[in-house]
Amino acid sequence: MPKLIIDDITVEVAEGTTLLEAAQSVDIPIPHFCWHPALGRAGACRVCAVKLLDGPVKGIQMSCMLPAQEGMVVSTTDPEAVAMRRHVIEWLMINHPHDCPVCDEGGECQLQDYTIAGGHGIRRYSGKKRTHVNQYLGPYIEHEMNRCIQCYRCVRYYQEYAGGTDFGVMGSAGRVYFGRFQEGQLESPFSGNLVDICPTGVFTDKTARFRARYWDYDMAPSVCPGCSLGCNTTPVARYRELLKTVARRNDAVNGWFICDRGRFANSAVNAPLRPRHAVVDSRESCVEDALDTLLLRIHALGELHGPGSIAVVGSSRMAQEAAELLPQLALRIAAGALCYRTTRKESTETSSFVELVHTGSSASQQDVRKSDCIVVYGCDPLNEAPMMAMAIRQAWRSGATVYVIEHKITLPCEFTLRATLDDVPLAEAERPVIICNLSAETDQLDKLLEGHSRLKIAPLFPAANSFGTALLMREHGAISLEEALADGEIKGIISIEADIPAALLGKIPFVAALDWQATATVQAAQIVIPTTAWVEMNGSYINYEGRAQHFSKVMNPGVPVKGLDPAGHPPHIHRSTATGGEALPARQLLARLIKLLDDGNRGLS
Amino acid sequence: MIPETMRQELQDRISSAITNREAAVDVMKALQTHYGWLTDEAVVEAAGLLGLSPLQVEELATFYEMIYRRPVGRYVIHVCDSISCWSMGGESLLRQIAGLLKVTVGATTPDGLFTLLPCCCLGNCGQAPAMMIGNSIYGGVTSLEKATDILHQHRRNT
Repeated sequence: MPKLIIDDITVEVAEGTTLLEAAQSVDIPIPHFCWHPALGRAGACRVCAVKLLDGPVKGIQMSCMLPAQEGMVVSTTDPEAVAMRRHVIEWLMINHPHDCPVCDEGGECQLQDYTIAGGHGIRRYSGKKRTHVNQYLGPYIEHEMNRCIQCYRCVRYYQEYAGGTDFGVMGSAGRVYFGRFQEGQLESPFSGNLVDICPTGVFTDKTARFRARYWDYDMAPSVCPGCSLGCNTTPVARYRELLKTVARRNDAVNGWFICDRGRFANSAVNAPLRPRHAVVDSRESCVEDALDTLLLRIHALGELHGPGSIAVVGSSRMAQEAAELLPQLALRIAAGALCYRTTRKESTETSSFVELVHTGSSASQQDVRKSDCIVVYGCDPLNEAPMMAMAIRQAWRSGATVYVIEHKITLPCEFTLRATLDDVPLAEAERPVIICNLSAETDQLDKLLEGHSRLKIAPLFPAANSFGTALLMREHGAISLEEALADGEIKGIISIEADIPAALLGKIPFVAALDWQATATVQAAQIVIPTTAWVEMNGSYINYEGRAQHFSKVMNPGVPVKGLDPAGHPPHIHRSTATGGEALPARQLLARLIKLLDDGNRGLS
Repeated sequence: MIPETMRQELQDRISSAITNREAAVDVMKALQTHYGWLTDEAVVEAAGLLGLSPLQVEELATFYEMIYRRPVGRYVIHVCDSISCWSMGGESLLRQIAGLLKVTVGATTPDGLFTLLPCCCLGNCGQAPAMMIGNSIYGGVTSLEKATDILHQHRRNT
């Protein structure tokens, strides 16, 4: 463990740590462009210069390239180092346009920050600038090559980290160009990370271009609802519109990146068809009245068909807080069934896997990245949970062997096909991981887990909170809606963010739906009460490995200002909520409903 | 489309290499000789032969200055503009040849015979200033006469 001094602070770091990281560990920031924690160093930008005053190396050095060594005395504030950094910035800025106010990256641009921090304010260069022709890279990413400072982050990320082959670096010297062979949509399912990784505005999110500045963003730490991995995100909103989503670092989960499916998924939140106000019998109503009517209908159904005629149906996409309240609601209305799944198959599959994960043998994405032997068993990570495929690639890059049990899939790395699980030399591996989905035989996995103490399992569940709701299913003996409807006793369904197939809904006389999406259930329901999307509330999801993760409220619910009729905006009637902003988190609606039921039972209503 | 025999030869060359990428320059040069320059079609063909994506071939093709991604004349004149040649008059050599051929640097003569390009080091620093025409290298090109002679030689050979 080398011990060194950086700006008069003694630092002890692990062997192999770079000076830049050593300085960061004691909160001394050193400017950098090409170095990135996920990509390592390239020594391409020369902006992280520091001066070594004493020790084994002396003079100006690039702090990202030099491993910390015993006895080094480093100064980041030495006039020579400061001048070097200032000159490098000036030189990187030679071809860069001085037009931050009209650039979409302005305000969240590393180059802008370091240019200002480096003290380069006035351009001395009066020559012609190098210019490039931009390429069309698809509907998601805008290309602006004139802004490029040749840090090589994009190409190192795209080809090395993510395994893409259709984007790279061409030319040499002053003609270096980052792009594709021919214009066209980027093929990698992880291409959106180019936006995050570019230290300036070469790649920007086309879906949110010129919509807002960084300091106007509504932002909060959130979790992606796209699949069961629970990748950490920061959604960005403005004027009640979800503009974009950026990756949020979590070393145990997604690392630095997210997949495109999770990133470019704003449309559901902004959808014009979203239920925005309560509806009773196809007529617009308010939440209070809708809840009252719901109570009356519950009583009426109970009187008509007797107790047990209503099913309370949740789903695996609802937040854990709301899911926890469903059993209480079911108890109070003497529901005939409590369901979190629609089909029998889903129901049995998830239950058995929750048992499996409970043994403490689940593998996080970090476990997968650090594994030396990965078995992909009967699942398709790239389609079911793309970031898992990315994690597999990182393990492969570090030398892991990847086995695929006879199955037609693609992965962003090389792999070996094996006929069965028994053909994989699990016993020889140090940190083996099996990645499967719920179609796998749990008995077989159980046996393997017993036989191999180091073995971990990553079961890919179908949705963000499949695991959390499965825990509740086990605790409360919930059954699938399919089973609940089998005997024909159920005459009413209260659906809370559930996607119920039309075939199951057809025979039910009464349906109430609490949802934020315009699902078929919402369309069929007599009572609709809008709930908030995950970005509009606080809540938690429990991911496939049993990791509970909190997500915070990013924005207020309501119809996005963009697209509103200018005559009606701002509204001319005073009201405390925004247009279409009556939606409440499902957990609040459920709590109210439960309270109303309790009050009613005590004769207060 | 390249002839089948050529495809076979290139495939043999690739299979004798330790990694496919190692043979990339040879494959690109062969295709360039065949087509006259490395056409877009040739890049795609090279990618197919090498098991790389067209972009990955393009990365290499655009890096090397003797792989031509635009049409060139029958002879490409590379005049070194690197430090040794520059200090020995490489700059004026380039200017003189441009004058002799009546073309600007980077252009091709109207008869399609010569393309004039600057290049960065021919590994002939000991005999600066140096230039290269086709596969022949010329050192110590310090006089207009010598340059004229060399160009005439190539004109005569056609």
